[in-house]
Amino acid sequence: MINELLLSFAEWLGSQPASQSLIGSFYMWNWIESTHVLTLMVFLGMLFMIDLRMLGWSFTDVPASKLSAQLNIPMLIGFGIMVITGLVLFYANAVHETQSIWFRFKMIALLAAGINAWLFHRALNASIGTWDRDPVPPKRIRVGAGMSLGLWALVVVMGRLMAYDWFDCTTPQSDFINWAVGCNVQ
Amino acid sequence: MELLVFFEWLESSLLGQAAKSYGGVYAMAQSIHLLSMALLGGAVLTTDLRLLNVLFRDTPSKVVSDNAHTWFKLGLIVVIISGIFMVAGVAVKVYYNSFYWAKMAALLTGILFVFAVKRPLLRQDHGQTAPWILKSVACASILVWFTVAACGRWIGFS
Repeated sequence: MINELLLSFAEWLGSQPASQSLIGSFYMWNWIESTHVLTLMVFLGMLFMIDLRMLGWSFTDVPASKLSAQLNIPMLIGFGIMVITGLVLFYANAVHETQSIWFRFKMIALLAAGINAWLFHRALNASIGTWDRDPVPPKRIRVGAGMSLGLWALVVVMGRLMAYDWFDCTTPQSDFINWAVGCNVQ
Repeated sequence: MELLVFFEWLESSLLGQAAKSYGGVYAMAQSIHLLSMALLGGAVLTTDLRLLNVLFRDTPSKVVSDNAHTWFKLGLIVVIISGIFMVAGVAVKVYYNSFYWAKMAALLTGILFVFAVKRPLLRQDHGQTAPWILKSVACASILVWFTVAACGRWIGFS
């Protein structure tokens, strides 16, 4: 049911002239794809710097609240660019990505990373006053930062794996995998 | 010509064979390459945005650049190790790829720039260097590392 819905939505996107000209344009597609990947240095780079502070491994001589407040701005700008370029890339190649196991895993990892970020910020805002200048934050914060690093790394790995066709619908594979990838839809 | 012999040797070496044979390992190396690129980029941007007075205006720029440099070095080492593995699998192909050589030239420029110009300058008291020099160093640094990454991405497209 959900696979049918996703596929018909993707086919509708893919049938639009703008989508087809995007995927057909060598330079436009590659520039958007490159922007998506290179912005990792802004978004993930800033996130790394923040999480390393929250683990107590780096910038221990800078108050944690100051570091995260300063680096949040470029991080969110990077995130915005990644979301916009990501949506455009999906729009240009909707059917293929909808039937990609890696894209599906990436969306799940992204959701998990988002939930972790929300919980992390709640815990951070509630406790920051008591340890802001401590070189090593409390355990709860360190665990959240470690989870953040792990989940965002997973998002990147899944994104990279999207280039591999090991589980494409054209590959003979079990019914379960076909269902998980969204193949065999009537 | 001698370089081509080296690239042919690299591709037929154990490392090259491993990179060719194990698609999953190769994909992990690519992912690690991207993650360490992000670490390197984050360290570079944090330092350079401080030098440009965009961020951390009330924190001494030396504190920011010294902290970030540790992670820059780690990012660089992991980028290079994962990059060598990636090249080994497609060595002869990248030998004929002009963006690969553009990337190597930019990378060499970046490494020389960091260890011969930027770090020696930033290891000193930043107050002794004219602000316009620090800002120029920051702009050059962003430009060179952006070039490395952009040429790297384009290897796959050309």
